Amino acid sequence: MSIEALDIAHRYAGMVALDGVSLSVESGELLALLGPSGCGKTTLLRVIAGLEFPDAGRVRFEGRDVSRLGARERHVGFMFQHYALFRHLTVFENVAFGLRVMPFWRRPKRAAIAQKVNELLELVQLGELAGRYPAQLSGGQRQRVALARALAVQPQILLLDEPFGALDARVRGELRRWLRGMHDRIHVTSVFVTHDQEEAFELADRIAVMNAGRIEQLADPETLYTKPASPFVCRFLGEVNELPSSLHAAWSGVSDPQTVAFVRPHDLAFTRTQGNSALRIECVRDLGPTLRIEARHPDLERPLVSSSTRERHAAAPVWAGDVVEPAPRHWLLFRDGERLQADSPGGRGARADAG
Amino acid sequence: MRPAARAPALRDPWWLAAPLVVVALAFVALFLLLPLVAVFGYAFEKGWDVFVAAITEPDAQAAIRLTLLVAAISVPANLVFGVAAAWLVTRFEFRGKGLLVSLIDLPFAVSPVIAGLVYVLLFGLHGWLGGWLAEHDIRIIFAVPGIVLATVFVTFPMVARELIPLMQAQGDEEEQAARTLGASGFSMFWRVTLPKIGWGLLYGVILCNARAMGEFGAVSVVSGHIRGLTNTMPLHVEILYNEYQSTAAFAVAALLALLALFTLLLKRLIGWRIERTVPANAPSGEPT
Repeated sequence: MSIEALDIAHRYAGMVALDGVSLSVESGELLALLGPSGCGKTTLLRVIAGLEFPDAGRVRFEGRDVSRLGARERHVGFMFQHYALFRHLTVFENVAFGLRVMPFWRRPKRAAIAQKVNELLELVQLGELAGRYPAQLSGGQRQRVALARALAVQPQILLLDEPFGALDARVRGELRRWLRGMHDRIHVTSVFVTHDQEEAFELADRIAVMNAGRIEQLADPETLYTKPASPFVCRFLGEVNELPSSLHAAWSGVSDPQTVAFVRPHDLAFTRTQGNSALRIECVRDLGPTLRIEARHPDLERPLVSSSTRERHAAAPVWAGDVVEPAPRHWLLFRDGERLQADSPGGRGARADAG
Repeated sequence: MRPAARAPALRDPWWLAAPLVVVALAFVALFLLLPLVAVFGYAFEKGWDVFVAAITEPDAQAAIRLTLLVAAISVPANLVFGVAAAWLVTRFEFRGKGLLVSLIDLPFAVSPVIAGLVYVLLFGLHGWLGGWLAEHDIRIIFAVPGIVLATVFVTFPMVARELIPLMQAQGDEEEQAARTLGASGFSMFWRVTLPKIGWGLLYGVILCNARAMGEFGAVSVVSGHIRGLTNTMPLHVEILYNEYQSTAAFAVAALLALLALFTLLLKRLIGWRIERTVPANAPSGEPT
């Protein structure tokens, strides 16, 4: 079932949480809402679920307007960040809840409920724990109970709020792969919220990067990484060097002083120069598989960072104190927050209309 | 507190601990234990038969029945009010919420006598509604309805006060989960909220009941002290005592004291249950 959110605007106690957000999720897709905390991603998820009614905007499921329906009528599966398991019910009863509260003309027979619940518990690999209470489970087990509970009513849409947020790192990776596998099997349209870009990249088909109540960019992981639409997206998806025009004009061919070149550390190398350069290597740290090289420029607040492989560094070594020039393999040019048609060697032909 | 569980640095020296313990125990003995013993002592001073006679005498029986009746009406009423008020305060944001919370506490803050006087002022013969009530032959003051009203007023905060902090601590994520799973408002309340607050609710009801049966001041003002008709147990004790029937007075008082002891026992038992059930799930996070 596809989801469409149109021009959603919402305020919390005078603070803008969502500022005219539109989002469309295709049927069967696994989409991530990624952003820093306070960017409105959870609010958007709750609006889709019908747990929050926005000040403005519409929500459609498969073209049908559900804006006026509450959470109960929307039939979405929702997994809460802290799972919100019913603490007074066993694992079995937690999962059975959605079936037990159905109106009696739709409610399955007792035996059918038991069968369905046991199937789901097998699916989430918790068959033996059916009689336990939530307080007796580990975080990962609770999460799987919450998932089974949400799936029991066979929702066409599954919404997950920070599904891995409350778990420790080791369990997180395991559950991520497990959830992806599960999605590939049952193909329910899913949206999950996360602030962890690695999580979003590993799991999602497409990612909506959010900032300050807006979606900055909605794209597949590769596009987001290689063609970020804004400096925010570029910065949010990992460490990046920002070089002013004085430092990039030489190789980018764009002399406009308002432009900034964004270069990832692994795309940046430093080459020793005899000419006059104010860029000086500050330190070289060996991180095992890679080396991290920092170079300081008097005009820049932060050092430029290069991440180099051992081989590459051995071929053209630089050491602390060397005077160098930046030599990027790939870069992105932004001007006033807009990305210019630009970049890397090979893509240089486009630079004419950029300058 | 088990001293073994405390860090040595926090353990008090014996010369400080011993006098404190002695003083505390002396206070407990003098002000709590002694009166309790005295009540039962006086009640059984002249033997079991006199005690039984004092509480089976018709006026005493009427007082016991009236007390039970008043509790039977005011406790369920406050149960409903209390749950509704706690629900409203913890689940909704609205203007004047702070004022409402303060108002719920009002019966704790004002003297019960004033509560009684307010009802006399409202429903008494010379009160605002007194004339209209007299015309329609409805008796509230110096009758059972007045006693019930005064008791409801005085015991109003007991249930709500118990539930509000509990429901605030528990949050409403489980209710939201129930909604997304298709539960109606009623089944959400019945299957999720009620079990969550169950022990706290029972705790509040027991306190409410104890107060409803023991209330003196407010009831005294509106009752009119008509023997066999508008006398509750506490009022009956007072009348007997004023008539120098001290053994009978203490016999009825002993019944009330027994009720108090029973209440304390229940309260303690339920307190243990609550401590065990509250911290299961983590509280809800801030929406981001």
